[in-house]
Amino acid sequence: MRGPRFLPGGVLRRLRWILVAALLVLAGVAAWFLFFWALSVGVAGYLKAVQFTPAKVAFYADSIRKGAEVTLKLTVISSTAGLVLGLLAGISKLSRNPLFRLPATFYVWLVRGTPLLVQILFAYNGLPYLLGPLWDRLQPLGVPPIQDVLTDYWAAFIALSFNVGAYNAEVIRAGILAIPKGQWEAAQSLGLSQAQVMRHVVVPQAIRIVVPPLVNNVVALLKDSSLAYTIGLFELVMAGQRIISATFRPVPVYLAVAGVYLLLTTVMTFFTNWLERRLQLRGA
Amino acid sequence: MDAIIRLEKVNKWFGPLHVLKEIDLAVAPGEVLVIIGPSGSGKSTLIRTINRLEPIQQGRIVVDGVELGDDQRSIEAIRREVGMVFQQFNLFPHMTILENVILAPTRVRRVPREQAIQKAMELLERVGIADQAHKYPAQLSGGQQQRAAIVRALAMEPKIMLFDEPTSALDPEMVGEVLDVMRGLARSGMTMLVVTHEMGFARDVADRVIFMDEGRIVEEGTPEAIFSRPQHERTRSFLHRILHH
Ligand SMILES: Nc1ncnc2c1ncn2[C@@H]1O[C@H](COP(=O)(O)OP(=O)(O)OP(=O)(O)O)[C@@H](O)[C@H]1O
Ligand SMILES: [Mg+2]
Repeated sequence: MRGPRFLPGGVLRRLRWILVAALLVLAGVAAWFLFFWALSVGVAGYLKAVQFTPAKVAFYADSIRKGAEVTLKLTVISSTAGLVLGLLAGISKLSRNPLFRLPATFYVWLVRGTPLLVQILFAYNGLPYLLGPLWDRLQPLGVPPIQDVLTDYWAAFIALSFNVGAYNAEVIRAGILAIPKGQWEAAQSLGLSQAQVMRHVVVPQAIRIVVPPLVNNVVALLKDSSLAYTIGLFELVMAGQRIISATFRPVPVYLAVAGVYLLLTTVMTFFTNWLERRLQLRGA
Repeated sequence: MDAIIRLEKVNKWFGPLHVLKEIDLAVAPGEVLVIIGPSGSGKSTLIRTINRLEPIQQGRIVVDGVELGDDQRSIEAIRREVGMVFQQFNLFPHMTILENVILAPTRVRRVPREQAIQKAMELLERVGIADQAHKYPAQLSGGQQQRAAIVRALAMEPKIMLFDEPTSALDPEMVGEVLDVMRGLARSGMTMLVVTHEMGFARDVADRVIFMDEGRIVEEGTPEAIFSRPQHERTRSFLHRILHH
């Protein structure tokens, strides 16, 4: 396939990537809305079938949809941030320079050695105290007070990102270590810089190894995000609790909540299996 | 003689293990040097010091006028001029043969992609695997993979080529095709350092043969001198063992 003569191949390739990325984002947004619309319809049908007050069914179904949306949104942004953190920490842990290695090792040790619940409570209740004095100095710049910034949602985001980031770091470190020494040596002997060796030789091969365990971490994160319930975040579990307080019918509501989690994790598992197959199709 | 590679009193240790002992070596441009010796004698380590895959603790190494030191930039500069071929090929499994070959020229030398592809295809043609360009390494035979690995190194237009037992991992029937490529390269005037157990190749192609044992250069000379009139007992017994197997 050849583009118009006046466009160099590189530009054309880049344009194609941008186009593909834009289409993917568009498809993602459309899928998102479609999914949650279908979810509220499905949940409403279920609630009707198990004989909730018909007048309230639409309201409850919408409540569960909202909770599920918060849960999934939180999972998506936390796992994205957690991927970046995991990459930084995972690569830093392998660095020969102690200025990188030691903080990364400390971070992973700290996060993996403490309960996520404590981390979430700390982010919500502790961080404002810890950062307060520093934050106050920024007030003249027009920064809103820390309580307004560190809402339940963003506190949960911080705790979940750092948590999954530490687990990702271990996965990424192991993935990089799994690349044979000969690959590094061949790339280095061609004159590639350390960064180029990473980018062109090590990371593309490590990705194949790390994608399945990284998605496992995201699935775990989706379930663990329910712990944000304890700091008052309106997510899926909270949505269920509210309905139970109003109806005193825990069994069908918990079943609905569990069902939504199962649906989300199953979709993710299907997606990884597909991705894994695609990654294996290309090359050895 | 103006050496393109010069080692002076090089010493290297792996922990307590003294693997290179007082190595002095000068290689002339265009020279083909074959290094032989028993397993563990330091042959691989020696050639790997030349592109700094192994650092040394004592002595000096000057390659193409540049002294090897700790500076990453000068190390990379030397690696651009020194190609290396490994026993295990070490092709990048996630790239096609063509992608393997053009990676360094486009990323390191910043050759335009089209031009790099053209050059790569010429080289692949020359070693007889142009038709394999769009396959992945795992789809090729060992001999084809090693020829691709040689092309990958040559695509950087190096002044020096290092070979570390390039045929040792190959099935016997594929050794010849790789040695033929190396013969052609030697004829074209490439400076080559070759660690090998292929004594036939050494006899035909080498300008000089070096026999190493326990980290030292025990004996060196023309192939004729080394193979027909070895001076040292250790050389004699090594050759005896290897030629009668
Ligand atoms: N990375 C390393 N760490 C520790 N010891 C090493 C390392 N690499 C090599 N050695 C040791 O150094 C010595 C020389 O090894 P080298 O690989 O240079 O030998 P060689 O002559 O190439 O042997 P062979 O014919 O088996 O390839 C051996 O005793 C080997 O065990
Ligand atoms: Mg060796």
